[in-house]
Amino acid sequence: MGHMLALPILALAAVMQATFVPQIRLFGGQPDLVMLLVLAWVITSPLEQAVTWAFVGGFAVDLLSAAPVGASIIGLITLVFIVEQLKGQLVNLNIVVLFGLVLLGTLIQYVTLSLMLVLSGFSIRPIEQFFYIVLPSLLYNVVFSVPIVAFVRRFKRGLSPRRRLARRSIIE
Amino acid sequence: MSPGSGFRRGWRGNRALYFIVMIVVALALVFASRTGVLAPIENVLSTPLNAISGAFQQIALRLSLGLGDLAEVQALQARNAELEAALARLQAEVVDLREINNDYARLSQLLDYTTNAQNQEFVTGDVIAVDQTSAIRSIAINRGTRDGIAVGMPVVTPQGLVGRIIEVGANASRVLLITDLSSYVSARLQTTRAEGTINGQVSGNLLMTFIPLGEDAREGDIVLTSGLGGNFPPDLVIGQVTSIRQSELFQEAQVRSLINFDTLEIVLVMTNFQPVDLSVFQQPDGN
Repeated sequence: MGHMLALPILALAAVMQATFVPQIRLFGGQPDLVMLLVLAWVITSPLEQAVTWAFVGGFAVDLLSAAPVGASIIGLITLVFIVEQLKGQLVNLNIVVLFGLVLLGTLIQYVTLSLMLVLSGFSIRPIEQFFYIVLPSLLYNVVFSVPIVAFVRRFKRGLSPRRRLARRSIIE
Repeated sequence: MSPGSGFRRGWRGNRALYFIVMIVVALALVFASRTGVLAPIENVLSTPLNAISGAFQQIALRLSLGLGDLAEVQALQARNAELEAALARLQAEVVDLREINNDYARLSQLLDYTTNAQNQEFVTGDVIAVDQTSAIRSIAINRGTRDGIAVGMPVVTPQGLVGRIIEVGANASRVLLITDLSSYVSARLQTTRAEGTINGQVSGNLLMTFIPLGEDAREGDIVLTSGLGGNFPPDLVIGQVTSIRQSELFQEAQVRSLINFDTLEIVLVMTNFQPVDLSVFQQPDGN
């Protein structure tokens, strides 16, 4: 059920990212809401669901961007599989681990997207862009990661069958 | 259980294989998107997203402008005083220029010469989205092939050049801004007619490069499109020179556009300008 809700949530996040988020740009950087939602989902959910979120999220982002469709999906899929691999080795998810994963996600998205843009004929200046776009984006992503992970956890708790049954019994 | 489901679970159980399959699917999507195979699906899916995006963009700009105004009341007051002084100065200039314009109109009539500006046709478009990757500076507008928009058409505002159309859908188009790293515009300085090339910078500013060393370039000069290369019509305002730097071979000028690209709401697409395809002049290798 959770991954079925990926479509409206990620579409809304992509639209917010193309409209509201550019208004709060710091230098060239801005929070990557879709990447953070996918990261939060892979932390709390099985791999198959996270892959669905990565595909839907990447598709929505690319539809509202000049980048070719699929360019963002590559980075998100890579992030999902790396985090899934790391999940087994992590004892618990504390704030430091979360920030580490956000750093990883931001870098993976930047590297893969840059590669796709170069292959599509766009110009990039990696070092300048790293300082002007990636570092401010990283800062934003770290700040936004905490509420987004909290939102996804609450959302998932609300979806859990036990919680739904309890709610139904209260109503009855 | 169907025989296929066991196989599906099997390859998904092998994470390396699962990862490779997903990446191959994503790469296939990129390829299909670049070659245009995916265009009909992209058009269908992006139509509702663009519609929602357009509504959200209006709200976002209103909020941003409202908050910005509140925070900048003092700056606006100072700016207002500056503009009033400039207006008084410019009004005197306008009187002179009207005289010159009248002379020019009479002479043009005599020569049966019509300016490009009089022949330009525009389609107005609302900005519905800003590129979210940050690495590309582009905007989406709510006008597409149904409104006569085509790839390569220049996009302007009354303040000057915005960019050019790089992708067109049925109801929406994408505009590559002149501030993008991939954007190159042939330009000239209004006063000295010195030629150069305007290129976008990572910071979102503009840099005019390849100005010959002997040419006189000054701060405050207005930069216009030169029309060379055939991508843009001549004499569209690009911006104003803010500083000049000399290298061994050329001069470079930092140029500030008069447009605030972050708060663009409405743009004009020049629909009757056809970019010139210079590739027809390219000689095959060995000839």
